[in-house]
Amino acid sequence: MAKYAMVLDYKNCINCKACEVACKEENGVLLGEHYHRIWVGVNPIKGVYPDLSIASNAFYPSQCQHCENAPCQDVCPTQATHYDENGVVQVDESKCILCSYCMVACPYDARYVDERSMTIDKCSFCSDTRLARGLTSTACQATCPTKVRVFGDISDPTSEISMILKTREYFTLKASLGTEPKLFYLK
Amino acid sequence: MLNAILPHKEINLKSLFSFEKTPFNLIMTAVTILLLTFFFTGFIQYVIHGHHAYGVTKEHPWGLLIAMYIFFVVSSTGLCIISSLGHVFHIKSFEFIGKRAIFGAIITIVSGFCVIGLEIGHPIRMVIYNTISPGFTSAIWGMGALYSVYLFLIIMEFIFLSRNEHKWSKFFGLGGLLIGVAAHSNLGAVFGFLVGRPLANGVFYPVYFILSAMITGCYLLFLMYGYKYKMQFNDEMKTFLMHLGRLLGLLIAILIFFEFWRFLTAIYGRVPQRSDTALHILHSGNFWFGEVLLGMLIPFGIILYSKAKAIKATIYASLGGMIGIFFMRYDLVHDTLLYPMQTMKLKEYQLAPSWVEYVPTVTEWSIALGSLGICLALYYIGENFFFLDPDKEDDYFKHYVADEA
Amino acid sequence: MEIEISRRRFLQGSVALSVIAASESVSFAEKNDTKSNIISSYGISKTSKDGFSVPTLCEICVNKCALLARVENGVVTKLDPNPYFPKSKNMLCPRGNAGIQALYDPDRLKFPLIRDGQRGSGKFKRVTWDEAYTYINEKMVKILDEEKDNRSTFLFCAGEGMAEETFKTFYQVFGSSNWLNHASLCLQTVTSAYGLTLGAYPQADFENATYVIMAGANRAEAIVTPDTMDLFKRTEGRGAKLVYVDPIFTNTAAKADQWLAIKPGTDLAFVLALTYVVLSEKLYNESYVTENFNDFEAYQEHILSHHYTPQWAEKITGISAATIEQVAREFMQHAPQSIYYPGRRSTFARSDFQLRRAMAIFQALGGGIDIKGGLVFGKGLGLSAHEEVTPIYANSKARAIKKKEQVTKGQAGYEDCAIVSGGGSWIGWRNRFLEGKMPYKVRGMFVYKHNPVLNMPNTAKTIEMLQKMDLVVTIDTMPSDTVMYADVVLPECTYLERTDPVKTFGGVEPSIAQRNKVIEPMFESKPVLEIMRGLSAKISKPLFEVAQKYDEDIASSIEDSSYDEVYAEFDLTKPFTSSQEALNEHAVAKYPDAVKSLKEKGVYYPEMQTFFKQLSANTYQHYPEKAKAYTVNAQKPKTSSKKVECNLANLADKGVDAMPTWKDDFEFIVPEGKFRLITGRHAQFTQSGTGNNAMLRELISENYIWINQGVATKKGISFGDKIEVSSTTGKTVLKAYPTEKIGPNMVFFIHGFGSESKGLSLAYRRGGNDNAVIEDKIEPVYGASVMHETNVTLRKV
Ligand SMILES: Nc1nc2c(c(=O)[nH]1)N[C@H]1C(S)=C(S)[C@@H](COP(=O)(O)OP(=O)(O)OC[C@H]3O[C@@H](n4cnc5c(=O)[nH]c(N)nc54)[C@H](O)[C@@H]3O)O[C@H]1N2
Ligand SMILES: Nc1nc2c(c(=O)[nH]1)N[C@H]1C(S)=C(S)[C@@H](COP(=O)(O)OP(=O)(O)OC[C@H]3O[C@@H](n4cnc5c(=O)[nH]c(N)nc54)[C@H](O)[C@@H]3O)O[C@H]1N2
Ligand code: SF4
Ligand code: SF4
Ligand code: SF4
Ligand code: SF4
Ligand code: SF4
Ligand SMILES: [Mo]
Repeated sequence: MAKYAMVLDYKNCINCKACEVACKEENGVLLGEHYHRIWVGVNPIKGVYPDLSIASNAFYPSQCQHCENAPCQDVCPTQATHYDENGVVQVDESKCILCSYCMVACPYDARYVDERSMTIDKCSFCSDTRLARGLTSTACQATCPTKVRVFGDISDPTSEISMILKTREYFTLKASLGTEPKLFYLK
Repeated sequence: MLNAILPHKEINLKSLFSFEKTPFNLIMTAVTILLLTFFFTGFIQYVIHGHHAYGVTKEHPWGLLIAMYIFFVVSSTGLCIISSLGHVFHIKSFEFIGKRAIFGAIITIVSGFCVIGLEIGHPIRMVIYNTISPGFTSAIWGMGALYSVYLFLIIMEFIFLSRNEHKWSKFFGLGGLLIGVAAHSNLGAVFGFLVGRPLANGVFYPVYFILSAMITGCYLLFLMYGYKYKMQFNDEMKTFLMHLGRLLGLLIAILIFFEFWRFLTAIYGRVPQRSDTALHILHSGNFWFGEVLLGMLIPFGIILYSKAKAIKATIYASLGGMIGIFFMRYDLVHDTLLYPMQTMKLKEYQLAPSWVEYVPTVTEWSIALGSLGICLALYYIGENFFFLDPDKEDDYFKHYVADEA
Repeated sequence: MEIEISRRRFLQGSVALSVIAASESVSFAEKNDTKSNIISSYGISKTSKDGFSVPTLCEICVNKCALLARVENGVVTKLDPNPYFPKSKNMLCPRGNAGIQALYDPDRLKFPLIRDGQRGSGKFKRVTWDEAYTYINEKMVKILDEEKDNRSTFLFCAGEGMAEETFKTFYQVFGSSNWLNHASLCLQTVTSAYGLTLGAYPQADFENATYVIMAGANRAEAIVTPDTMDLFKRTEGRGAKLVYVDPIFTNTAAKADQWLAIKPGTDLAFVLALTYVVLSEKLYNESYVTENFNDFEAYQEHILSHHYTPQWAEKITGISAATIEQVAREFMQHAPQSIYYPGRRSTFARSDFQLRRAMAIFQALGGGIDIKGGLVFGKGLGLSAHEEVTPIYANSKARAIKKKEQVTKGQAGYEDCAIVSGGGSWIGWRNRFLEGKMPYKVRGMFVYKHNPVLNMPNTAKTIEMLQKMDLVVTIDTMPSDTVMYADVVLPECTYLERTDPVKTFGGVEPSIAQRNKVIEPMFESKPVLEIMRGLSAKISKPLFEVAQKYDEDIASSIEDSSYDEVYAEFDLTKPFTSSQEALNEHAVAKYPDAVKSLKEKGVYYPEMQTFFKQLSANTYQHYPEKAKAYTVNAQKPKTSSKKVECNLANLADKGVDAMPTWKDDFEFIVPEGKFRLITGRHAQFTQSGTGNNAMLRELISENYIWINQGVATKKGISFGDKIEVSSTTGKTVLKAYPTEKIGPNMVFFIHGFGSESKGLSLAYRRGGNDNAVIEDKIEPVYGASVMHETNVTLRKV
């Protein structure tokens, strides 16, 4: 039983969106801009040409945070949303009634409706694709040109990800909500 | 057979289509048929296109249908609460309308279920997995379970009322009331539990739901009395309606007070998302004209100005009040989703996400408005098949029966 | 509800289609309504447990990254990065990932086609391969007969690609001398300038550099491997200080330490001023310069006497003198671990050639040549050459260039430019063709993997050229804008359906890599090698007959020996008889185990077995530090003199400044009310080639024109407004993107959009075509295109 998590060395992200395409191809995410498990956000630039603030234009790659205290799981009426044995927040397609409560409850906008099954879809840490094949990488991690992501088991203190979390400072998103995300952004 | 369980009139097609052909009744018939047609076309659209027929989006997953559902269940709870003032708590002047109000509570919640059934993506799956795989921490699950029990209880209440078995009706009435209140505050909690939605999160909604349910009950009672007595009231009735008006005035006053502090605390200190959202709401016409003016100020003004004596005006204001209540439900859903959870640009060529917008589609409107037709039709059916007024033979109601015109 | 068709269904569909009668006509002219729902038919499904991977190479752009193609039940379901390849370092960019959509694009060219209507009407009829070859044969025989076997009456042009050589071989054995490729639209001036100055176009060792100036190259979006990966890993004390010079704020600017918003086309002044600071403050590496420079004094004198001071440059470039001084000093402090990045596309301004020379010399002043952390040459792993037969045709005329009538020393000798390169000047050639200034008639053209209609400035003229040809044959995978003007369309299979010539990749960590066929070609498409095999078999004899008719030598040779013996020399089929696999085996025969490694891993280099290691989840070692080829030439340039060439006297003879010099007319005037147009790349798009890729289309559905926010506000233009952009060349319409990321007198939009081909259901009329408005100016040295010297007007429509 692992406890999967991801660290993002987000300052290296160049906003190329290879991760998004890799995720779509690997996990069969539908085409269409509203259908995505993963994204890169950017805030509008500050300043007036040519005095622009470089820092204001940082890129923030993101996806489902696999919260340890996941609001989406709390609110799901049928336990379609659940934690699997590796602590990954998953959606059981056959139980999802599409009440959309989890979409309203997720503070990270991580969920969308898959138009084929008409159920909720989101990042699964590639559990049913790559992990199921015995790989220990996710599609978004493997493809990234600047290697923003490290995926791994934080319950194993010797894993690469555990070592990174021990030696580098990090933060999590909307930490004040108490959702305890398992996506760690390196400072 | 059925008569043994639930006393009813003759149930056949002829009795279904026989009604007094007054202009008002004819208009109501036309309106009901029109609304039912709306519902039916909306339903067909839903069957063909599924959720695509709706204007809900990733950012705004809930829309008009959820609002309409809440509108109905609020009405149901309101009617249940107000009616129980009569035969549960023996406040005499409320007793006469009891059976009709409980019937109203039944048909409104059934209409609500019709709407939510078309909003939930997989209603049948819902019935199965809500039962075999319940999510106990889910406010939606709690609400669903409680409302199912509630519906059962008020149906039982209605049956025993019809059978003039008041011990049982009181028993089920009390049960219905308690479960109804629980269910309804749970519905408030559906919103109140949303940790990520700063304006919805907290204690406000569960309490606000009960308060607005009682207001809704009063409005509906005014409308029912007005309709039943064709706006002609005897003195006793007038006194009762005056009392009802005062109660309504008090409830509205509390609501205004509530809203005032809600907004003030939301804006005070300028907590980023919360105050932004509150201020944004204060710039919306829906809020001022729908919620405040129709839903609160006009009825409140009339009651205050006439010292609750202007009954006819209050009845008309109650019509506006119900529209206001509808706006409250709609805004409740919309305001919760107003602040985007994704505030960054995800593509170069887009504007940064700002307030989340939502425009209901024609299909959603057809279903939402059409569901009022279901409600009217059920009411009409009920009127034709069942005895909604107190039984003349029933001692319990003797003093009212005598007054009936 | 949209109907979902899986990739598999698409495949079954293809089988059904391929048995349709041969006379079926294909029309790209009428908009096919069913295609508006096309998005739903792109199969997107989860990868499953059963499958295997084939190592191969990407071809969505020039980089040729290594990938592992996952195949499940005969369907390619996923492309993953292949960690063995040191060049692409275990990554696949968004376009590389989306390659599956190119393979399964429903709009693909599926069968050979012959035009069945007006040129450009988009009407074609489906034919068999033999019918297509026969048609080409008849036309060629007729034209060559009329032109008395002047083989140069056919133009051959190609875009960059791994099989470009195969097509070029056909051009060579056919005997034409008119060859044009993408070079003059792309990197001609930069490769030549570095070649002449440092002896080679070097690579940048970003992994070890501590200071980088990047100007006119947007590596976060215009992806070049391994540069993009090495430059942007900048946490944990890695990476260099990055000074980024670009008139617009790109994603590279967002990653830079300092962004200098230069006035477009003035980089030469910037570099000259940097050089001035370094020379006047004596910041350069004296020992390196003394040992390795030719004519350093002359250059010093040249720079100082022209007073290329930072103050002078400030007025021209818009970059403050203080900043120029700061950058020059910092660069030299960090030298030789500092890099002035050479860049790739260098078709910006008329000063491009001299700019790149000035950059190369500036780099060398710090000694950062052939050294860790500087510009490096690296090692190459040689391949064995194939024997080539190149028959000589007596009547074949020399390349259709035009020498000036009277040339005095010190002037350009040719109509188009000063120097004629192998790739030629595409625009110069095209314009002379249209102006009737060719030394002889050119009547036919073959286009391979190239889309000049969209990729050459002045689209209207390119179309006019195609209209004037008697025969246009295109070999492509998609019904591109150029294909629309073809008489014969030969469908090549995509890169995932073929094995291509094995290729060697030199550098600090040299390797050999091979594109292996992943699945069998779909429909009736074929690799270009097989197309050339089929075509040459059809035309070889008949063309020999024509040659025989006009070439007396042939006739007499036949009398001396035999027909068969002479024909053997002219047999066009010879180079195409072997399979690609066999050719590749021959090419790497000298490396033991290479064949196996290339097949199983896609990559080979000596000692890979012992060197290659996974170091962490994301990092791999290809070569240990000691074995990396940072220094291969004793830190000297690779010129024949082994010196940095500051002063090229022989160029002066041809009318080219011997030393980089700023000319007043390099300053480009933007009149009031007009805007200078700049174009460039986007990370999710490759030129015109990915316009119909469903996956990429969704990430960037169209290009928008960047307009300075203040200007837009004044003009009442807001986001999404439709803007008509026009110049003396033409017009195009696209949506507005008001932003502070661009200056007030310029506009920018991404190149590659605005297709007019109705065969491309997703690309058709999406966004604007920059080349419809860019004027066809050429740079004086190589005749390369000048793409950023067009003034445009904007109109809200
Ligand atoms: N994603 C992606 N990657 C690609 C390609 C692709 O199509 N898509 N194509 C590949 C090919 S063929 C090539 S040649 C390379 C091209 O690679 P680059 O040359 O790096 O790319 P461009 O975007 O053409 O131009 C780079 C930048 O120059 C800026 N610029 C324009 N004028 C000036 C100027 O006067 N001075 C300075 N300092 N900057 C200026 C532009 O604003 C632009 O941001 O990319 C390769 N990589
Ligand atoms: N305005 C403007 N113009 C430019 C540029 C710019 O930045 N702005 N950039 C310039 C640069 S740097 C370059 S390199 C050129 C590039 O110009 P091109 O060499 O024309 O490259 P692409 O646009 O990639 O077009 C390639 C064509 O090959 C086809 N193709 C793709 N794969 C295959 C295959 O496997 N086999 C065959 N037979 N065909 C295939 C595609 O369908 C497409 O029609 O454009 C130049 N033009
Ligand atoms: S692949 Fe990596 S660099 Fe590219 S957008 Fe994703 S996280 Fe950023
Ligand atoms: S990010 Fe959202 S979807 Fe993911 S676990 Fe947390 S609440 Fe659930
Ligand atoms: S939409 Fe599905 S996953 Fe989400 S809360 Fe409802 S049932 Fe659970
Ligand atoms: S971990 Fe897998 S499912 Fe999640 S975003 Fe990355 S590629 Fe997609
Ligand atoms: S950079 Fe991207 S498109 Fe170009 S070869 Fe590499 S993976 Fe393919
Ligand atoms: Mo290029």
